[in-house]
Amino acid sequence: MEQLGRILLVEDDHRDVELTLTALEEYKLANEVAVVRDGQQALDYLYCRDDFENRIAENPAVILLDLKLPKINGLEVLQQIKSDERLKMIPVVVLTSSKEEKDMVRSYALGVNAYVVKPVDFNGFLNAVKELGVFWAIVNEPPPGSVRK
Amino acid sequence: MPEQSAPVTAEMVHSVESSSDGGARRFFARWDRKFLRLQSPVARYGFAIACIAVALGLALASSQLEFREVGLIGLARVLLTVAVVLAAWYAGIGPAVVAVALATAAYVFFFTEPIYSFAVSWEDSPNLVVFLVWEAGALWFVIVRRLTETELRAARDRLEREVVQRTQQARLLDQTHDSIFVRDMNDVIIYWNRGAQELYGWSAQDAVGKNSQELLGTVFPSAAAGARDALLERDRWEGELIETKADETQVVVDSRWSLRRDDQGQPAAVLVTNNDITPRKHREEEIVALNRELIKRTEDLGAANKELEAFAYSVSHDLRAPVRHVIGYSELLHKQACSTLDEKSRRYMQAILESAKRMGALIDDLLGFSRIGRADTNKTTVDLGQLVSEAIAELRPQIGDRDIAWSLGALPACHGDRAMLRIALVNLISNAVKFSRHRARAEIAIGSTEGQHNQIEVFVKDNGAGFDMRHADKLFGVFQRLHLSEEFEGTGIGLATVQRIIHRHGGNIRAEGAVDQGATFYFSLAKA
Repeated sequence: MEQLGRILLVEDDHRDVELTLTALEEYKLANEVAVVRDGQQALDYLYCRDDFENRIAENPAVILLDLKLPKINGLEVLQQIKSDERLKMIPVVVLTSSKEEKDMVRSYALGVNAYVVKPVDFNGFLNAVKELGVFWAIVNEPPPGSVRK
Repeated sequence: MPEQSAPVTAEMVHSVESSSDGGARRFFARWDRKFLRLQSPVARYGFAIACIAVALGLALASSQLEFREVGLIGLARVLLTVAVVLAAWYAGIGPAVVAVALATAAYVFFFTEPIYSFAVSWEDSPNLVVFLVWEAGALWFVIVRRLTETELRAARDRLEREVVQRTQQARLLDQTHDSIFVRDMNDVIIYWNRGAQELYGWSAQDAVGKNSQELLGTVFPSAAAGARDALLERDRWEGELIETKADETQVVVDSRWSLRRDDQGQPAAVLVTNNDITPRKHREEEIVALNRELIKRTEDLGAANKELEAFAYSVSHDLRAPVRHVIGYSELLHKQACSTLDEKSRRYMQAILESAKRMGALIDDLLGFSRIGRADTNKTTVDLGQLVSEAIAELRPQIGDRDIAWSLGALPACHGDRAMLRIALVNLISNAVKFSRHRARAEIAIGSTEGQHNQIEVFVKDNGAGFDMRHADKLFGVFQRLHLSEEFEGTGIGLATVQRIIHRHGGNIRAEGAVDQGATFYFSLAKA
């Protein structure tokens, strides 16, 4: 079996979490997915603080980031990640419902590695998630300091 | 004569000789008028000769009365001298000289020894000398007076001409439409023209002598003192004033002041020219009000647009998610339970899936449509030919293995937003492909013709299902469809989007067609 990287999924909608995990499951990528439900948690996770104080201090191989999130939104999380020396090397994939051009422009301006609009069609979604997972968690060589099993 | 009106008119245009001159002028005018009675040379010389003749007659008559001893010579001398003075006074210098000559001759002939001779005895010569001195004195007096009088006459004529000129100028001032008045340094009005009467409603009699600021209730834009200082400093001032007319309505005037100084350079009077700019002011105010309204509407529109954007953003995020979930879970369920479901249940499941997908497509198309309206256009030179090729390539999945006869004409470069024009072409070509799918051999032609106003007209023609021209106006409306969705799928947003794109490019779109005879869409674009 291929080596599996740790994927951080930042998603507030529990159905989207389930569908994403199901899609990753299809391709046996679900095991190492850490799920956080808002922007605050995402940053706490990345900085190993509060609820995540005791986690192994390694960066995920890839972050799948929704944009519309409670507390701190996806773009703010992205900005924080990309402006932090220790975090900015983690590949971030924006995975969102929104086709809004300004979100896309802003995301790329902040240095996002990929921007994926979740297709309405579930098969399309499956393919997207599979490709994302396979590419970023398996094929891509993660930056030093990231989890690799 | 002009003397009556001169003080007012002259003072108003220019400072004039002081009024103490008035008495002398009147005196000489009267003196001159007496002279004017003896204007012809005949009358003047005749008068002189007559004077001498009368004096001589009186002198000779008195000699008959035996007054010789009591100083007849003295009486004759007095009478003749009086005659010379009268002649000189009333007839002028020439006749006076003639009178002197005649008087001297008469005196020598009648009143010096030897009598009745022009010779003069030694004893009588002192009398002749005295007589000549008297005559000379009388003549000198008259000549001096005459010279003075001539000078005065010239001065008076000059003055008169000036007065006439000033009066004419004053009449001209009176005739201008501008309102003109003159006030002294205490703001007391000393001249008021007809324009001022027409503007304010007060006649010259009403206004002259009144304080102008009190009469007109002048409102200065800033402190009145500022205007006065500026006037004294630069000799002129210009500004807008609000004043009140006789009928108590307000008037806005464009006021120009110019300061007149006297010979010593001291401020003497202010000439005020006022133009009524009330109508212009009203128009300006109207324009300002309209502008304010426009700004407000623009702001409202901006706010509405923002709201719409927020709405679209929300739709884009929140409305799409449940649709995705319905589809996602339906497909998962389908996968899980397909084998255990009966035919009917499978059909229900399919219906759920299809409806959800349709919902998703609708949302995506609507968002696209709204985005076309909101997005900024980024216009460059666009190669339409290449764009058509790209659109056809994008439609490969829809075309599949259908037999389509493409007829692609030359398409020039045009000026527009590449991404938007691509969406328009994809929509139009996709429609042509879709509506011609029942043809054994579909024919789609794309080309262009010269349009008006430096535009080109691009057409996309198919031999498909066509449409009834009676419904042509509905083609480009949002959610308007001319076919059943079982017949031809679609959201009814495509052509509305195309029209919006073309309109945003300043072009027009129209369609021609007939049921079962195909359709042709034409749109115009600016040439590159």
